[in-house]
Amino acid sequence: MARSLSQMMLKRFAAYPLARSSAITSRYSTSLPSDPDTHEDFRPASKLESSGLSLENIVEQDVKENPVMIYMKGVPDLPRCGFSSLAVRVLKEYKAPISARNILEDPELKNAVKAFSHWPTFPQIFINGEFIGGSDIILNMHQSGELKEKLKTIVDNQGKEE
Amino acid sequence: MASRGVLSRANRIKSRLQSALQPTIIEVEDVSHQHAGHAAVRETGNNETHFNVKVVSSKFDGHNLVKRHRMVYDLLSDELQSGLHALSIVAKTPKEHGL
Repeated sequence: MARSLSQMMLKRFAAYPLARSSAITSRYSTSLPSDPDTHEDFRPASKLESSGLSLENIVEQDVKENPVMIYMKGVPDLPRCGFSSLAVRVLKEYKAPISARNILEDPELKNAVKAFSHWPTFPQIFINGEFIGGSDIILNMHQSGELKEKLKTIVDNQGKEE
Repeated sequence: MASRGVLSRANRIKSRLQSALQPTIIEVEDVSHQHAGHAAVRETGNNETHFNVKVVSSKFDGHNLVKRHRMVYDLLSDELQSGLHALSIVAKTPKEHGL
């Protein structure tokens, strides 16, 4: 039961690969075992109560592994909301790689992110695992120079890798 | 609750923030029309969805931006649950605003 649940989670997210600013990486889609033994009817239904925790783990992992993580409406190259668009535009001013998830594709993910950050609206930006806020705050930090400071180590590390 | 249907959302937001934050300046602007094509707006048929809020209050003293925005969101949680979609928030202390 637990195993098939986690597989279901993996499958769900294989459908929504994490978008990187330049290349698309589908980090949850590697070598998924198929599950031919379980008839569709007997697989656990995807309900908020049963999957909420796992989704929060995904969010936790996202913000831990991605120096700049944004949960947004649409994708960085095609934002579906002015505020998400603004946040992406600000972040793109710097050379840090941006990782993104489109919360419009999954209401449960949307709720999990809200619960994780205790923040009701999108976009939501995390830098080095720290919750930064939404588009107003990121713009504010951009104007004050605080964002440059926050992204400095990420941009520097990026330079070394290349 | 009876006042819900009568007052516009802008007025409800304003009076809620006014009583809780006792601001020296408060401005609430309904900018929903700028987001009329928005998927979520179309789906719900709701036409009071997006607002610009400016609050200057000494209650923000000693709090960072995340905390200030959370204070505003918390006060407006009823509205957020009933179709308020997004807020653009300017939250300053009187000192920061040069008062």
